[in-house]
Amino acid sequence: MAGQTWLADTFAGVMLLTAAYCLARLVISWRQHRRTDHQVDAIHVLMGVAMAGMLVPALRVFWAGGWEVIFGAGTVWFGWQAIREYRDRAALGRLRPHHAQHALGCAAMVYMFAAVTTVAKAASGSGTGNMGGAARYPTLALVLGIALFGYVVWTADRLPALARVPALVARAVAVPSPAVVPAGSADALDASPGAANDGRSPQRHGAPPLSPRLAACVEIAMGVTMGYALILML
Amino acid sequence: MTSYATQARSAGGCLSGPGVAGQEGWAAPDARRKLQLLLAGIWLLDAVLQFQAFMFGKGFAQMLAGTAPGNPAVIAGPISWSARLIAQHGVVTNALFATIQLLIALGIAFRPTVRLALGLSIAWSLAVWWLGEGLGGVLSGAGSPVNGAPGAVIIYALLAVLLWPPRRERPASFVAGRSTGPAVARALWLVLWGSLAYLALQPATTARGAISGMISGMAGGEPGWLAGIDRHLAAFLATHGGAAAVVLAVVLAIVAVGVYLPRPAVRAVLVVAIVTAAVIWLAEGLGGLLTGGGTDPNSGPLLALLALTYWPLAAAPLAAAPLARPEKA
Repeated sequence: MAGQTWLADTFAGVMLLTAAYCLARLVISWRQHRRTDHQVDAIHVLMGVAMAGMLVPALRVFWAGGWEVIFGAGTVWFGWQAIREYRDRAALGRLRPHHAQHALGCAAMVYMFAAVTTVAKAASGSGTGNMGGAARYPTLALVLGIALFGYVVWTADRLPALARVPALVARAVAVPSPAVVPAGSADALDASPGAANDGRSPQRHGAPPLSPRLAACVEIAMGVTMGYALILML
Repeated sequence: MTSYATQARSAGGCLSGPGVAGQEGWAAPDARRKLQLLLAGIWLLDAVLQFQAFMFGKGFAQMLAGTAPGNPAVIAGPISWSARLIAQHGVVTNALFATIQLLIALGIAFRPTVRLALGLSIAWSLAVWWLGEGLGGVLSGAGSPVNGAPGAVIIYALLAVLLWPPRRERPASFVAGRSTGPAVARALWLVLWGSLAYLALQPATTARGAISGMISGMAGGEPGWLAGIDRHLAAFLATHGGAAAVVLAVVLAIVAVGVYLPRPAVRAVLVVAIVTAAVIWLAEGLGGLLTGGGTDPNSGPLLALLALTYWPLAAAPLAAAPLARPEKA
């Protein structure tokens, strides 16, 4: 590790906590039929574990090249979702670039793993070295880091717009079905299939979604930690 | 008139996921808020750069101590004292510095704490300007626009003042003027860019090989493309340094007085200011960001951001409109 060991341990701990929290969201959503963005929570579980392993070698759980494949697929998937969101902008009258953030995060993960592997191979030929310093294409690391920081402040700015869980519970009681929500209202945004879970999995009407504020905090923590890892590669 | 609740709902369209747009009193970012977010992003970059390995070592303290020589004793004494303290407790002090910067960044980005964070950033910037940058080399004679004088960190403080969300807006056609009033904002601009023009004519810039030496000194440790640009620039300025300093001073002086010109001319001047800031940033080697030893992005991006705060707005000047308070239903 090119940085301070205690600092890497701290960031790794934060990543494991966020991964565990996102895993808990998936389990709770499945057991209690509460709404959440399953794709995003799942990728955050993977990102948290992968980042922890990148920061602290003892926490590595995957084979060489495995993470690149996973996050490469994630980049394509979320990139496609972002393109769809962009296309839907005209129809919905609003831009929801939600998944572009995750496409960027996945791309940053691919870059970091590829850069780490390249540096490690160049240094020892073993491919087992850790990240930090003199990665190839450091300018790309800086660009990715700055873009992630942009998303961090963008997400933090919107935190007050996200409802607290008690308000969501009250709303879930008051609004039993998306069908009765007036189109175009804030509640409609909430209740629209795309906003909740892309309409792919059935959810119980009236069940409040899992905390959107904590989900945003996860994205902030992920963005800062990934930015830190990228800056270490300069 | 659009209510804040309506604005919140329309702004909620920028978001996604369950529970979005649940709070009334939240408005889509206006011009000032967007600039505040840019400032928060730069602070965040600053904070993470402070977490780099180099900052925890003796090299960082030596770098700070290096700003003391040439300054009056009353200025240099505290710089040397703080550098010794940091050298003795490098890990603790640097972790504290980085954490403060991280809190400033997230505090500006999080609306309920924006005033607190901007206030903290002003205090922090002034302390760092003295103890970390030796007042940007202004008093030591080492300051030059090319090496970041009058100090990148003082521009953070200036931006915090100009982007401060006031209880009552002042009528002005640009964001910076709505916090302090247009006259004060223009005076601050004049002082800053005027001081840059003045510094461009000082020996630290005009001396033979001065600019060239500064720029070539930045090239070490940079990636090939940036080092190449800096080397070519340094080679050119090795023989044309004096003339370049004069040209730079003239451009900076025009920019300094340009905000007093009519609206269309102001736009042109601000474009020149942004281009000048970009050239300065290149000469600064992007603040050493790509070397693994940069503590901040240096003055280039901050000067560009400052120029944006003076950009004439399309909307008519506000007439003392309230800010940040939801309308009563």
